[in-house]
Amino acid sequence: MPASIVAQMAISGALMGLVYALIAYGFQLTYATSKSINFGQGELVMVSAFFSLTLLDLGLSYWLVLPAGLLFGAALGLVVERAAVRLALEQKSEGWILLTIILGLFFFSAAENIWGRDDRPFPTPIPSESFHVFGVDVTPLELSVAVGVLAVMGLIELLKRKTLLGKAFEAVSVDRDAGELMGISAKRTVMLSYALSGTVAALAGILVSPITTVGPTMASALVLKAFSVAVVAGLDSGFGVVLVGMFLGALETLASFYVGSGWREAPGLVLLILALAVRPTGVFGKAAIRKV
Amino acid sequence: MLLVEDVYAGYGLSEVLLGTSLAVKPGTVVALIGANGAGKTTTMRAISGLLRPARGRVLLDGNPVQGLAASRIARLGLAHAPEGRKVFGTLCVEDNLLLGAYGRLPRFFGFRGRAASDLERVYALFPRLRERRRQLAGTLSGGEQQMLAIGRALMARPKLMLLDEPSMGLAPVIVQEVFRTIRQLKAEGMTMLLVEQFAKTALEVADYAYVMERGRIAIEGTPAELRRDERLLAAYLG
Ligand SMILES: Nc1ncnc2c1ncn2[C@@H]1O[C@H](COP(=O)(O)OP(=O)(O)OP(=O)(O)O)[C@@H](O)[C@H]1O
Ligand SMILES: [Mg+2]
Repeated sequence: MPASIVAQMAISGALMGLVYALIAYGFQLTYATSKSINFGQGELVMVSAFFSLTLLDLGLSYWLVLPAGLLFGAALGLVVERAAVRLALEQKSEGWILLTIILGLFFFSAAENIWGRDDRPFPTPIPSESFHVFGVDVTPLELSVAVGVLAVMGLIELLKRKTLLGKAFEAVSVDRDAGELMGISAKRTVMLSYALSGTVAALAGILVSPITTVGPTMASALVLKAFSVAVVAGLDSGFGVVLVGMFLGALETLASFYVGSGWREAPGLVLLILALAVRPTGVFGKAAIRKV
Repeated sequence: MLLVEDVYAGYGLSEVLLGTSLAVKPGTVVALIGANGAGKTTTMRAISGLLRPARGRVLLDGNPVQGLAASRIARLGLAHAPEGRKVFGTLCVEDNLLLGAYGRLPRFFGFRGRAASDLERVYALFPRLRERRRQLAGTLSGGEQQMLAIGRALMARPKLMLLDEPSMGLAPVIVQEVFRTIRQLKAEGMTMLLVEQFAKTALEVADYAYVMERGRIAIEGTPAELRRDERLLAAYLG
């Protein structure tokens, strides 16, 4: 087995792993401000992808559909916050866990009713013929995933560090009450974090759809991997989810090639069990796993 | 300036404030003293909106603010330096200060320039903060964190400041420094409500004082009047 083929698969896998990282990053954004996450995040990925596909079917250009899809994702994020999270947080209860799951189920059946159960292709102007670089073949499509994920995560991280709004975001994450005393509305900060989380979910959907096709169940596996990535990397490091996401993606491709395609899901599971065994009281473990 | 009228407040089922009333006139320093657990911190939290009063009114410049979010009340000109300082440990000193002025700065760009004169004023008051402006607030000493908490409150250009035990856990020298700052702010005309364990020192800077006992104001008066009160002398002033 030539080393270049191993590298080839590892890189393709790692690029897909960036999608896990992006979805996991969406968990981090809301966890930071409110110690809550949307368990129906996969449905936001899927519904945003269907919405964007509908706009494409109407004849809009991909480059118009992209921002429209992201805005739609932000709006969905706000819906989740308003409908499933806000009241629970005000009452200091864990009700958001159940409510976000139920809202996800609702989005799922709504999507089935509106768009049907079939998987549909997602047209994109980005070519899928591979080209040769540093001894491996990559497709512009795979590359677009990497560029999109890293650009958007980089932009959000930059805003968080350089703008006063970003510092306020951090302040509320550190100490909600102290942030309020500075005149920072914790409520609006949580809303912002859910809007951003919805935006990155939509981006994940739009980036991955040309590769995986669009269907009601398109995101269920993705979001489980994202959970694993978030648990392993922890819920506070954007850099961490990128590394773990790429690592997991690479591992999966290699496992399915060497051991058999049925073993694709094994690395995620093993990584998750290892992380929980080594760090049983990880941030995530405390907040969610124990309670669910 | 500030009027607290018959406020009841607590945490869940435990009622802490049982009809607290007090007043702070513009340009004065008012001390709030009392034993541990009397409800001093709870009073401050009920004023600044971190805690919603179950009954009673809080008037800021004559306008009722009870029930508003703390962030709204802060923007009306009330700065609360909370017990335990509560600086943002993962942000640097200067970022903490900038956030103190959050309500009146642009959100994205140019906020540093707009806050320059306020930063200058705080750094002049606390030169140590200037030296450490790039340092993470969590790595500061207790005294420095307290200066940061007061400086951060000043950044808001507040009409009224609430200081909750600014001397807590500090070495005597630093306590002196904190009180020197409080005197200086008073000389500049700042209105303050001050909670203190060091009742004696607090009475030295205060124009008026309230003594709390189990969720109510038990005694009030000017420092001179309180010093004459035998019962109080025995209980608080040693
Ligand atoms: N978060 C809370 N949850 C429940 N009870 C609380 C909480 N904070 C304070 N209490 C209770 O409220 C009562 C008053 O507390 P408070 O902190 O207002 O007192 P204090 O006068 O500030 O005391 P200290 O001098 O120790 O700071 C205490 O009996 C305390 O146990
Ligand atoms: Mg207290």
